[in-house]
Amino acid sequence: MSQNNDPNNRADEPETQAGSSQSGSEESVSNGEVLDDSGRRTFLKRAALGGGGALLAGGASYGFIKSELKGKPISDYPMIDEAIFKPKDQRATVLAFAHSQNLADRYPERTTQYSALHNKDFNFQEGFDVMYSLPWDNNKPGYTQMDRALQKAGWEPLVVAGSRMVANLQPDTPLHSWDQSDVEKEQYQFDNEKQAGDAIKSAARVFGALKCGIAKRDKRWDYDPLYDPENDQELSWENDFPFVPKTVIVMLVPMDYDCIATAPAWTADGTAADGYTKSSVLANQMAKFLRGMGYHAVGAGNDLGSSVPYAIMAGLGEGGRNGALLAPGIGPRHRICKIYTDFEFVEYDQPHTWGMTEFCLSCGKCADACPADAIPKMESENGGYGFEPNYEFSDEPGYTWNNHHGIKKFYSDSKKCYNFWVENGSACGACIASCTFNEPDMWHHVFIMGVTPKSPDILHKWMAEAHPAFGYGRTGDPKKAEKFWKTGEGMRTNTEMKNNIGTSNKS
Amino acid sequence: MELAQWFLMGVIFTIGVFGLTYLSLLVKLKWYTWASLSIGIVAILFGIGWAGASFLEGIAQSGAMALIFFSGSGVILMVLTWRYLVVPELNQPGTTPAAEGRKTEQ
Repeated sequence: MSQNNDPNNRADEPETQAGSSQSGSEESVSNGEVLDDSGRRTFLKRAALGGGGALLAGGASYGFIKSELKGKPISDYPMIDEAIFKPKDQRATVLAFAHSQNLADRYPERTTQYSALHNKDFNFQEGFDVMYSLPWDNNKPGYTQMDRALQKAGWEPLVVAGSRMVANLQPDTPLHSWDQSDVEKEQYQFDNEKQAGDAIKSAARVFGALKCGIAKRDKRWDYDPLYDPENDQELSWENDFPFVPKTVIVMLVPMDYDCIATAPAWTADGTAADGYTKSSVLANQMAKFLRGMGYHAVGAGNDLGSSVPYAIMAGLGEGGRNGALLAPGIGPRHRICKIYTDFEFVEYDQPHTWGMTEFCLSCGKCADACPADAIPKMESENGGYGFEPNYEFSDEPGYTWNNHHGIKKFYSDSKKCYNFWVENGSACGACIASCTFNEPDMWHHVFIMGVTPKSPDILHKWMAEAHPAFGYGRTGDPKKAEKFWKTGEGMRTNTEMKNNIGTSNKS
Repeated sequence: MELAQWFLMGVIFTIGVFGLTYLSLLVKLKWYTWASLSIGIVAILFGIGWAGASFLEGIAQSGAMALIFFSGSGVILMVLTWRYLVVPELNQPGTTPAAEGRKTEQ
């Protein structure tokens, strides 16, 4: 073996940037020689050193990402302007208004003002009938008979259970009954509050919750007064609700990635409807679980209180530009349900941040994707983030009747959103599908989620642009519907979020 | 399939470590040259891993972009490091294989 081929000798050479060594390398390859014993030992030592270093670096990266995914506790939520804030009347919600002719008669200006400002003759109360009566077109992907069938099948269990209206803020439906006659007389006693919290989250996971958090009941987020749109009846917490709630358990149910990606096509409403169905069943089971342990409990969908702030208080996520809860790992691709209970010997979760609301200030993809133009764009005053709505016509007296004023957040115009549903023939979901945080459950998205809080704003803008460039979040694409109907082969997308480091939120 | 991907990534990563180790026996380089080559290899592997996950989740465009941006950046970094820090002689006129070939023909 020549001296140049002896790796030990080579390592002893003066530290140069190695033109001569290159020739030695070529010689080694051309002669096909192998390392001698001492060379092999050196090789193995260095390989072990390099591999060990790489493993350590990998382990440190994993630990860092896992730590970041837990989020950071925050103390500044909610930020409220006390001069403006007041409890939200449930009658001042678009879906309750859309389902009540009595409210239409009582507040005719809501309809006349909207129609005048948008130069159209829009009837909120006829909206759902018009929406579902639009004919399908089997030559238009996403709007075929099959898509309509998927949508209706998604709602069917709620229809059978007489609880379809849970999505439209109807309280006291059969699935979320206020009847407390089955509360066990003996109350189960936990050893400590943590044990109670863990037990509740374990039960929630069994019944299908993706995440579960526990918050103190907060009257600021409860609708007050409550309203029964079907019977045009105002309800009070003090006289009508069956007990004094102390705790609100909040749970998330996932929606299918490929299905919501078809938005705003009818196909997307299939998973939205299914999300409502599954979340309603989940809330029903969890309420029964608590009543079985001797505590009063009532399940809720969109009724009783605002789901997003309660979910934030329960440490499940942050508020997004699209008005939805952004949960780490899944973004807004979920449905929220709640349990109101008088059980209070439990460890409460805290609001956390993962840097998502801050990211929304640099992103705006949902606003760009919104076919109704109902979400504040990046160009809006303060990026659309503030204590008052600042979308189109929000300075018209009374126009923002549907918003809960005085909370620092992104305000959207849900009237325009609903108007688009009616014209589209289905609920939309484009703001969910286009969200930068709506990702499939794969390691690289978990990685990006982990590094987001530590990345600067300038990088957020780049990441927001990279999202569609990498093929994610495009909406209004008929190919998405065609693709969805082929995804059954192989069942690619895992909705169980096993990579999301704990399905039962230990915040 | 995800498990298979992790296994394959482990194999590729190990090959990368062995490759760098073997290189360390052949040439003596400055620390920043090693750092640059290592970053290049990690970028290439990151892109391959990203692409694998993207193809598995059905977003092929993401996989292609990852190969271009992450792995491509890694390849460019390694090539530049090799040419300018490891074997700068390659950049002298008349030292490339093509130039050698031309000399022979003359």
